[in-house]
Amino acid sequence: MHAAQILVNAVVLGCLYACIAIGFSLVWGVLNVINLIHGSFIVLGAYLAFGLYNALHISPWYSIAVAAPLFFVLGYLLQRLLLNRVITAPVLVTLTMTFGLDLILNNAMIYFFKADYRKLTLTPSLGSVSIFDVVVPVDRLIATVSALALTGLLYLLLRRSRVGRAIVAVRLDRDAAVLMGVDVKSIYAIAFGLGAALAGCAGVLMALIFPISPLTSSGYLGKAFVVCVLGGLGSVSGALAGGLLLALVEGIGSTFFGPAHATTLSFILLIVFLILRPQGLLGRKGFE
Amino acid sequence: MSPVANSLILELKGLCAGYGEIQVLWGIDLDVRHGEITALIGSNGAGKTTLMRALSGLIPTTAGNYFSEGRDLTGDTAAGILAHGIVHVPEGRRLFGAMSVEENLLMGAYLRDAGRAEINRDLEQVYATFPKLRERRRQAAATLSGGEQQMCAIGRGLMSAPLLLMIDELSLGLSPLLVEQLVAALRELNAGGTSILLVEQDVTIALDLCHRAFVMDMGRIVRSGSGSELLADPIVRDAYLGVLHE
Repeated sequence: MHAAQILVNAVVLGCLYACIAIGFSLVWGVLNVINLIHGSFIVLGAYLAFGLYNALHISPWYSIAVAAPLFFVLGYLLQRLLLNRVITAPVLVTLTMTFGLDLILNNAMIYFFKADYRKLTLTPSLGSVSIFDVVVPVDRLIATVSALALTGLLYLLLRRSRVGRAIVAVRLDRDAAVLMGVDVKSIYAIAFGLGAALAGCAGVLMALIFPISPLTSSGYLGKAFVVCVLGGLGSVSGALAGGLLLALVEGIGSTFFGPAHATTLSFILLIVFLILRPQGLLGRKGFE
Repeated sequence: MSPVANSLILELKGLCAGYGEIQVLWGIDLDVRHGEITALIGSNGAGKTTLMRALSGLIPTTAGNYFSEGRDLTGDTAAGILAHGIVHVPEGRRLFGAMSVEENLLMGAYLRDAGRAEINRDLEQVYATFPKLRERRRQAAATLSGGEQQMCAIGRGLMSAPLLLMIDELSLGLSPLLVEQLVAALRELNAGGTSILLVEQDVTIALDLCHRAFVMDMGRIVRSGSGSELLADPIVRDAYLGVLHE
């Protein structure tokens, strides 16, 4: 394949990977919770887009406006009612908690939606744009731009708003944030809600491109994990860098070794990074 | 609710606190007056920082009472105590390193229900007190020098509109010249009406700066008086000013 095409594909996919990962990274960074339910949130978002399109003919880019508040409330309540009870426990306890919640949500989806793979097909199709030899389907382009916009919105929220500053403050120094009068448990719930909202929105975008099934959730979770390790935990720019790198490696890998080996390659990269550069490309820092 | 006239800004009666099973404070009696600089001195492990943490609500008190301007703050949350105006500038500055200086200052005003104009006016005031911070307002706080970080920490405290500014370890790790500048800034702030409770290991600096001081040892207040009284006190001189030969 053409080098330019590989590069463009990587950018398109990389932005989506970043979008998958930022919510996961936010929760991990602020709450120190490895949120295993993230993948199932993404799938649930994809089903939401699928359902809204097929039942009410609402286009996925409008579904984002539905998914964001819905998933925020879901995540907020989950944190307030359940996770905040164990948040001070060692990381293994919260990990087990999110693992259990993921089992419940994922099996509920298998029960209600079946494990069949479904595809959201836009009719009429939006076609594709081509510049020279490089071809990009328009729906992918829309998904990419939306993913970038969501990532940018999170960045702005964290940098410019009062609640965003409080989230970063809790992440950087919890005790000092308490001294500023920040209600940590409420910030936890907001951060978890934001993480869930980003997962839901990412799911809506994924529905435009990938088949939908509850079985895909672990794949999304794996990608989120790899992106966080590659880019460095907890920063928006790190998620972008990690997403692009992962997409590029997968793209090159599947071109030269076949698509079956793309995932293998990405996890080899994960192991290499864990050994040689555990802090990730951009290191562990604030959201900047 | 106007402050009770002539009431104390801080009044502690038999305050006890600690960490879990370990009791550190054994009945602290202490009072801080409006408009004064009050110093709290004592050796390492005397319980000064623990007292600060109890006063700002970071750790719970186990016995005793804590009043401010006649209001009972015993058992109040950190946010409640801060909203009342007791502001804690913690040991080691504890700035948000990845945030800019100005973002740190704005975090100080997090709880305040103030308009943008009022916040900006207070920002200007902090920058007027510490001009270095204005130069570095867009810079990440972690990149500041030690002295600038202390300025930023004090500035962040000022942004909380303090009734009482409690500063833990002003001079820790700073060069004498920087300490001198900070002391001058504190005098200026105090002259402007800010009441200050200063925890300081350098007894000479503390007693020279303060109106009144309390000496802590083993989790108790063992002496109190004006700065000059304590400077002349043979026991204080022996215990804390051993290195001072005049």
